[in-house]
Amino acid sequence: MSDRIIFEDVSKFYGEILGVNRVNLSILPGITSLVGPNGSGKTTLMNLMTGLVKPSRGRVEILGYRTDDSENLFKILGYSTQFDAFPKGLTGFQFVYSYLRLAGRDRETAEQLAWRVIERVNLVDAANRNIAAYSKGMRQRIRLALALAHDPKVLVLDEPLNGLDPLARSEMIALFRATAAQGCYVIISSHILHEVDVISDQIILLSNGYVVAEGQIATVRGEIQEHPTQILIRCSRPRELAAKMLENEFTIEVSIHKDERGLLLKTRDADRFYLALNDLALNGTDIESIAPADDDVLSVYEYLIGNEEAVR
Amino acid sequence: MTPVWWSQIKAVIRLEIKKTFFAKRGLWIYLVAALPVLLFVAYAIATSGQQNRRASIARQSERPLSYQDLLAVQPGMTSQEVIAILGKPPINFHWTENRPTETGKEREKEPTIEVSHEDYHYSDGQSELYVGLADGKVKSIHLQEANNLGQDSIMFAGVFQFFFLRLAIFFGCLGIFMNLFRGEILDRSLHFYFLAPIRREVVMTGKFLAGLLATCTIFVTSELLQTIAFLWHLPSNVRDVYLNQNHGLEHAAIYLGVTVLACIGYGAFFLVAGMLFRNPILPTAAILIWEAINPFLPGILKQFSVIYYLKSLCPVDIPSAPGTSPVLALLISNADPVSPPLAVLGILVVALIALYASSLQVRRMEINYTTE
Repeated sequence: MSDRIIFEDVSKFYGEILGVNRVNLSILPGITSLVGPNGSGKTTLMNLMTGLVKPSRGRVEILGYRTDDSENLFKILGYSTQFDAFPKGLTGFQFVYSYLRLAGRDRETAEQLAWRVIERVNLVDAANRNIAAYSKGMRQRIRLALALAHDPKVLVLDEPLNGLDPLARSEMIALFRATAAQGCYVIISSHILHEVDVISDQIILLSNGYVVAEGQIATVRGEIQEHPTQILIRCSRPRELAAKMLENEFTIEVSIHKDERGLLLKTRDADRFYLALNDLALNGTDIESIAPADDDVLSVYEYLIGNEEAVR
Repeated sequence: MTPVWWSQIKAVIRLEIKKTFFAKRGLWIYLVAALPVLLFVAYAIATSGQQNRRASIARQSERPLSYQDLLAVQPGMTSQEVIAILGKPPINFHWTENRPTETGKEREKEPTIEVSHEDYHYSDGQSELYVGLADGKVKSIHLQEANNLGQDSIMFAGVFQFFFLRLAIFFGCLGIFMNLFRGEILDRSLHFYFLAPIRREVVMTGKFLAGLLATCTIFVTSELLQTIAFLWHLPSNVRDVYLNQNHGLEHAAIYLGVTVLACIGYGAFFLVAGMLFRNPILPTAAILIWEAINPFLPGILKQFSVIYYLKSLCPVDIPSAPGTSPVLALLISNADPVSPPLAVLGILVVALIALYASSLQVRRMEINYTTE
């Protein structure tokens, strides 16, 4: 049995319209974020992963299971969709309970599992209310409960933080992290880049149906050669340090921070830059901290896709 | 079938049954199913009223009359002769008419003669005789026969074949089975099933059985009520003879069986149609036309129809009235019926073919609500 989520030369067309094209991916355990503007193919990729749509070309395999083998696939996979519709007339509890009964669980087990997961998403008080009366955030949480109900190894979450208040967001992020820490695969799509930045182990950047980049954020950033690396240095005498750094040919641009307690440098050769900085520190230049300023998702997104529709 | 599949099918049925029975978009199905019941209730009420009236007329007669007595009245008899045969009429209407003479053509100075009219009503308790007299002589005779169970059975068979089977069950199954998948696509909730660890064929089977349970409950109940309403107005001795000696019970059981088979056949057809077509009008029209032209189809094609087998199973043949056009007569009669076991087998095979097509289609289905 494979230990990866594999996309092999996958394309999906909706008639004449491109969903995704020639996608090759090999996703490892941990939190993987799908990032891209609206219409970039994030949901299509998730629907392909869960068999809700079939690839026009290529092959998708989830830990060795074919996506048309729903009986076995969904024993290891839970999907929280963006579709904001539910079977009519069900309460939150009945929604999760019915799903577990569909999964073949007996009544007692289904009840226990349903209450356990409803507790996990903090929805116990509203569990016996009709879903039609739920707020957007509650509906989001009950969808998450459904995806988590059978303890899946692979969790696919389409915009899972939409509609949640800040407290619920942080609770959910903690939940995703805990799930990933158990060796699970958590695939998240999100518009909210700073959250993606905080939670992701790796990202898949999509634009117009194509995978633009994939991997760990720092690695992806390192591969973007046309944009110089930005580094923020905190120090007591920024002007003095700026002058010294400009003597190196690999320093492209230096600007003094607004608070006069640091400077922002741009370099095309980060390795040599850090060596030079080490020398300066050893020679007595006062440096408080050094941190990369653009190896986050937001920067990578802006460099590769532009700033359209990104939510910071 | 594994025990897990069976428990999953039951889970699907539990989810579907409430939706199927109480869907707002399906309320009209109850109305369609209730229409023939209302028809027979109305018929029973009208017939009971008529019987009571005839009994009352018979009680008011000078002496008990037989059917033969009623037949004895002939045109041209005088009122005295009629009264001599049947006695003084229990109900008698009398009026006079001013009839123009042959010379009085011009309206202003119309000379008239007075004509005396009388209407006598007699009854033997079952049949009713209307005798019209003018100037003391019988001019018209109208005998309303007692209710004929044979005629009533044919009427029941006609309503069953031409309304209940071809329209009520047909459109009822359309409303329920077509919505099993199509309705969920429109509600954008089908992914709930497709994201569960369950084979899609199992989902389809569960949905089909839920639809079947609903249609059978609705239409079998309707058929039972129709039978009760049909038998209600009959005197108890006539009812007992009909049920126990004239195959009445057997016919009632066959009608119920045919109702169930119709739900299976049309249900399977509409299940697959609901998956293949976005617009229900086209497949509905196609199936309706296909079923309607069945008598004119070649033998091999006839077999791929539901009505072909159902007609063969119906216990009462409907005779064509004299003068009926050959085309209509062909529609009414069943020219080449198959034997009941073959008919049952045929309908089950047709349903299985449709269900197999559904199972192939459900595996191919994609969730793409935005294109719907």
